[in-house]
Amino acid sequence: MSESRNAYIDAFPAEAKVVRAAFYSSFLALALGGVFGIIQTLHRTDVFRFIDSTDYYTVLTAHGVFLVISFTIFFLVGIFTWAITTSLDRSVKDIRFTWGWYSLMAIGITLTGVAILAGFTDSIDMSADVLFTFYAPLQGHPLFYIGLVLFIVGTWLAGADWFRTWWAWKQENPDERIPLPTFMVLTTMLMWYIATLGVAASVLLFLLPWSLGLIETVNPLLTRTLFWFFGHPIVYFWLMPAYMMWYIMLPKVSGGKLFSDPLARVVFVLFLILSVPTGIHHQYLDPGIAEGFKFIAMTNTMFLLLPSLLTAFTVVASMEHGARQRGGEGYFGWLKALPWRDPVFTGMALAGLMFAAAGFSGMINAGMNINYLVHNTFWVVGHFHLTVGTAVALTFMAVTYWFLPQVTGKALWNRSVALGQVVLWFLGMTFMSNAMHRGGLLGIPRRTAEPQYDGFEFEASVGSVAELDAQIALGGILLTLSLVLFFANVIGTALNGRSDTLPDNSYAETLSGPEDAPKVLDNLKLWTIIAIILVIFAYTFPLLSIIDRGGLFGPDINPFPVSIETIPMLAMALEGYTTAAVASAGEFAQATLLGVIR
Amino acid sequence: MGQATDTVERTEIGHDEFDPIGTLALIMVYFAILVALWLFMYFVEFLGNDPTVTGAVVPVVGLI
Repeated sequence: MSESRNAYIDAFPAEAKVVRAAFYSSFLALALGGVFGIIQTLHRTDVFRFIDSTDYYTVLTAHGVFLVISFTIFFLVGIFTWAITTSLDRSVKDIRFTWGWYSLMAIGITLTGVAILAGFTDSIDMSADVLFTFYAPLQGHPLFYIGLVLFIVGTWLAGADWFRTWWAWKQENPDERIPLPTFMVLTTMLMWYIATLGVAASVLLFLLPWSLGLIETVNPLLTRTLFWFFGHPIVYFWLMPAYMMWYIMLPKVSGGKLFSDPLARVVFVLFLILSVPTGIHHQYLDPGIAEGFKFIAMTNTMFLLLPSLLTAFTVVASMEHGARQRGGEGYFGWLKALPWRDPVFTGMALAGLMFAAAGFSGMINAGMNINYLVHNTFWVVGHFHLTVGTAVALTFMAVTYWFLPQVTGKALWNRSVALGQVVLWFLGMTFMSNAMHRGGLLGIPRRTAEPQYDGFEFEASVGSVAELDAQIALGGILLTLSLVLFFANVIGTALNGRSDTLPDNSYAETLSGPEDAPKVLDNLKLWTIIAIILVIFAYTFPLLSIIDRGGLFGPDINPFPVSIETIPMLAMALEGYTTAAVASAGEFAQATLLGVIR
Repeated sequence: MGQATDTVERTEIGHDEFDPIGTLALIMVYFAILVALWLFMYFVEFLGNDPTVTGAVVPVVGLI
């Protein structure tokens, strides 16, 4: 071991192995998810169809689950472990425990993945084409739910590991402020604990017993609402690690310091208290939830703009500090002084820029009335490809170019390829996401294998649907190329020899440090209690009213095992219902009319 | 370490000397874009489409 080198792997060799394992698991998921992504892009746009349209939903489920569950979460447990050990400057309490939660997560996601991928073959009686949201009455194989449960329990234990390490540090440093990276990890995990209660209840009490045949029926609205209880805050579980990178890495790579430590703490506290009581904004069009409850969710959602706007200010100011120190001048001229040839910087800066655009489409989604215009259309898909697909994914890929040498002890294979990769991702997503947003405004639906209909055409006031499809396919191809470059770099780095000239393991210093932050910001108990109270306010009455109306286990709804044979059956049943409904409506109208005439 | 940032000369700017005027300029540009999009939304939402909710009710009433 070289004496001059002070990389993460030199200070924490055991932890570096876990972080590396988490990164590689995350990249495997990224590769699989990417393959399914390009298949569905080419299929939906009718550029190249080589799978059966019924398999499209298996592809869609795999793309969603592998990318937003395994890619993002494996990566973030890696950087959280790095953040805790680096900022507390101490090892985890027990490395066997750390490997334990990593293994549990890996086993869990493998089971879930097997259940999804088995949907491609008829020789195994197993499938889980339930999409990422796994709404009832769509029913997956029990293995799908069991795997998810294990994976989430793994993340809970990971959080326990980090808390335990922090408590040990606190015993020795009772009067010190919590270091900022640790503070960010702890607040994120507290938010995650509250959020995952929803999905735990939904899966353990209802969906898993239902899938195992222990209970006959479920209340779809109840399980949907519990899903979104978790489903919205999970987006902050992806986003907060990206924010962490923007706060503690971006200022450093820009050549400056973090503008304000107290503001960063305020932002993470706001996310802790506001992330969960907002989930109902995904259900603006769900009948069975009163408008008033939706209005409360909308108000909470709008408040969430605050931490994001605070972040925009703090992060840009930190970049500007770097640019000024590097000799940048003028109102806009300083932008030229930023290190645009550094892939770590450029990737994160472009990710942030995309997030600013996503902020606008997010405000449209959050507004109750405007949401009706875009609900369940391609617009929404465009929106989350800007947020999780770029703000988060591109940030993660960019920081990989810094982290990978730190945890492997090997130099990055090729910086120019890395720079090309992040720019290509930005370009590809610009084409794809912009066209998705526009497609949504025309009413093109999401989650549809063949959104081309006989005797009907979507009318575009500018351009045409063919042009939008071409942009989406082009964007998808650029994104795939970008992924190829990314993996070339990951593999090339892994095959590299040991390097003696790695940068030191460190994160950004601050202009205004924790000594300027009010002590109350570090009072995690207080913020957790406030978060729980807000959740109780936002969810008690909606949940009670849903249970009151539909029953805990729902009205008698038949499960819908997703296979093509059931569709004609369902169509017949629907036809029957509709005919009956129209007939009774007709009788009612006749009776009323007769009544009026008389 | 091969970082491009190494070659640039730096002047240390402390807490009190730093005035993030460029950040203000950028954020004003962002807000200008947001306001423009917000105005544009009126044309997309209301002039490009029939009213969303009431539009669905009228034909039903018409049927009966």
